[in-house]
Amino acid sequence: MATASVSTPLKSHTGLFSSRTAGGRMPLTPSPRQRAIPINLNSSPFTPEKSSSDGQGQQRVPSKSTYGGGNLSSHLAKATAGHRASPKSNIARTVSTPRKALELGVSDFTLTGTGVHTTKSPSSSRTKKAPLRQKGPKTTLAYAADRFIPNRGASSAIANVGSGKLDFQEKQQRPKTSNSDSSSVLAAATDDALAAFEGLSLEDEEPASYSRPSPNTVAYQDSLANACGVSLNTRILQFKPAPPESSKPIDLRQQYNRPLRAATASASQFKRRVATAPERVLDAPGLIDDYYLNLLDWSSANQVAIGLERNVYVWSADEGSVSSLLETSADTYVSSVKWSGDGAYVGVGLGTGEVQIWDVAEGVKIRSMFGHDARVGVMGWNKHLLSTGARSGLVFNHDVRIAEHKIAELVSHTSEVCGLEWRSDGAQLATGGNDNLVSIWDARSLAVPKFTKTNHKAAVKALAWCPWNMNLLATGGGSYDKHIHFWNTTSGARVNSIDTGSQVTSLRWSPHYREIVSSSGFPDNSLSIWSYPTLVRNVEIPAHESRVLHSCLSPDGQMLATAAADESLKFWKIFEKKAGAGAGVGGAGASGKAEMSKQMTIR
Amino acid sequence: MAPAAAAAAASADAAAAPEKDKSKVHKLSLKGSAKLVAEFFQYSIHTILFQRGVYPAEDFSTVKKYGLNMLVSSDDQVRAYIKKIMSQLDKWMVGGKISKLVIVITNKDTGEHVERWQFDVQIFAKPPKTKSSKSKTPSSSSTTTENTTPQQPPPPAEKTEAEIQSEIAAIFRQITASVTFLPQLAGDCTFNVLVYADADSDVPVEWGDSDAKEIAGGERVQLRGFSTASHRVDTLVSYRLAD
Repeated sequence: MATASVSTPLKSHTGLFSSRTAGGRMPLTPSPRQRAIPINLNSSPFTPEKSSSDGQGQQRVPSKSTYGGGNLSSHLAKATAGHRASPKSNIARTVSTPRKALELGVSDFTLTGTGVHTTKSPSSSRTKKAPLRQKGPKTTLAYAADRFIPNRGASSAIANVGSGKLDFQEKQQRPKTSNSDSSSVLAAATDDALAAFEGLSLEDEEPASYSRPSPNTVAYQDSLANACGVSLNTRILQFKPAPPESSKPIDLRQQYNRPLRAATASASQFKRRVATAPERVLDAPGLIDDYYLNLLDWSSANQVAIGLERNVYVWSADEGSVSSLLETSADTYVSSVKWSGDGAYVGVGLGTGEVQIWDVAEGVKIRSMFGHDARVGVMGWNKHLLSTGARSGLVFNHDVRIAEHKIAELVSHTSEVCGLEWRSDGAQLATGGNDNLVSIWDARSLAVPKFTKTNHKAAVKALAWCPWNMNLLATGGGSYDKHIHFWNTTSGARVNSIDTGSQVTSLRWSPHYREIVSSSGFPDNSLSIWSYPTLVRNVEIPAHESRVLHSCLSPDGQMLATAAADESLKFWKIFEKKAGAGAGVGGAGASGKAEMSKQMTIR
Repeated sequence: MAPAAAAAAASADAAAAPEKDKSKVHKLSLKGSAKLVAEFFQYSIHTILFQRGVYPAEDFSTVKKYGLNMLVSSDDQVRAYIKKIMSQLDKWMVGGKISKLVIVITNKDTGEHVERWQFDVQIFAKPPKTKSSKSKTPSSSSTTTENTTPQQPPPPAEKTEAEIQSEIAAIFRQITASVTFLPQLAGDCTFNVLVYADADSDVPVEWGDSDAKEIAGGERVQLRGFSTASHRVDTLVSYRLAD
């Protein structure tokens, strides 16, 4: 604390200062010496000179006239100078900073010492020192007891805080106290200062008498009044550490207009209940953890086909039964599966580039189509047309009815094609690749893509055509992109975007609600349901333990199946229709069938 | 929390002997009351920081308290800062050392104090003087009592915990409502917490003397107060009137 640091020097300097008082006799030396003093005191001759003139100026002049040149202040000042010169002065020199202030103090002391004279001196502000002197002896005692120390501590603390008014006073006082040991005169002066200060903070009986003659400055009165006005015997304490910075500038206007809880507001708009627990969980052992494959599809006949390494299994959602449809030769694996529109056939893409078409009811392979020299990671049916995207970046259109099946070669991607989706009317085809491109093709002219979109910053696997707006395509990018972009495929304009915060592995529009569901990879492994076009995330369902690789909607559009790298297949009833209209997986088989057959007849 | 515990105990008492003397049933201990007041201060600081936009609104989350949704900063640094203040404030409150708590909002650019929230604390029952009062001030302590006695209203009738809570809730409603008349705070603002403590209080190093940071020529609005068996707290906001 400040008190300690100040009090110790007191003692150590005693000898010095006393010697100075001895030197106090030297003062008789003529004024020229005085000039020398400031130079010694400070590197710059001007500042000290000024300060001395400020502090003592009014005084020196009158006192000189009064005493005939025997001004004590000059004595003392000179005394200090003398010490500097003397070999003993080392210690004094080290304490160079208080020196300056000291000079000021000294000037005060002279007054006290020569109190009788000062009354005559024209500087009225000093006069009040006279009454102070009476206290001299009494207060010295008090000072000997360490009564003033806490005060000084307080004063220095105030100085630290930097309250301007008190500062000035404080400066004056501090040197005094350090001097005080040297002589009784000084001590008396110190005590004055202390007493005055006590009056400030403590309201002893003394200050009352002081306040009238009040010392030099108006500031003193101010602060005294302040102190009195605030409270007696009270300290104002401030918690000094600076409060943490706010993370960003704040406009209060914005804040007042902002609904207090935006999240709940949006949640209240979203009234539909979404089951966040899976309806059913199946094991999918051996599911290849590869973002670029498409191994899950749900047919219009309510059957789910899934490719697990070399096998394709078909799970009947109506009966809950599983059958193995095929097993590839040992040298390859299933890289994609896709049901034909009528749900009777499944196309199977293989790692070798071969594409097979299987009749599921019979369980027999109908044909194999060759042409790709790299794995076929994605396929899409448009009536009798099967489009296949391969690792080479090429997309072929096959007419599955004819021997010369390849009817078109769509050249746009330069890297593996992993997303491919026909618009429901077959007029447009969207493809996405590992080259971060989204290509939108017009079915009538497949030589060049109608649009090529480069906005994604990672591979584009997730593609979905909006069921209620033919021109709207949603595309989702991979780990480095994390965005869903929405496109007007007639104009080619990007109409909306969402930053999902994680890899987008698939997108599915709800046929019944104005919503789209996205499945994500690291870090969420979740399903998110977004309202469109508000783009508000209605629900986020933590879905799997590792990234969700594939998703597909049930033919009635209520259920979403997801397959994830944790080798499980989960069914989620996220787009449930109003009560009574539902067709469930497994449990509600009968009603499901009824609906199914209806769909078939429509077709 | 002690007040809650006290309340629980009180309600248990009440259940056991409903017609027994009510004063005893609902009286908070001085310590409990001090805790309650300190807790009130804590929520006040959070509320003011939120309402006056010292920190962005996103940093705050709602907490049920006093039957209200109180907004409490969820920023770790701000929480830690307030926690540090509160830890010392708790001690002072229990010791009965505090007469005012002041939250000063300062413009960062100009250094001007633009708003000053002052909570005056009166203690009805002085706690037993601790040794810390030391040598120093027989005279000064006498002046204190001289000055404070006339102002001190008679201790109010006993209140139930629920009444106190609703009084506090009313203050927070007022603080919240005060944004309607307080001037728009322009620019970045920061805040400081001041405490008017007895001269003989133990002061940790983080706390230093300060001026009152009054707002010169400011407008003053007295808000509601609340009282417990041992404390009365009054709220006052002063602010610089827009030029």
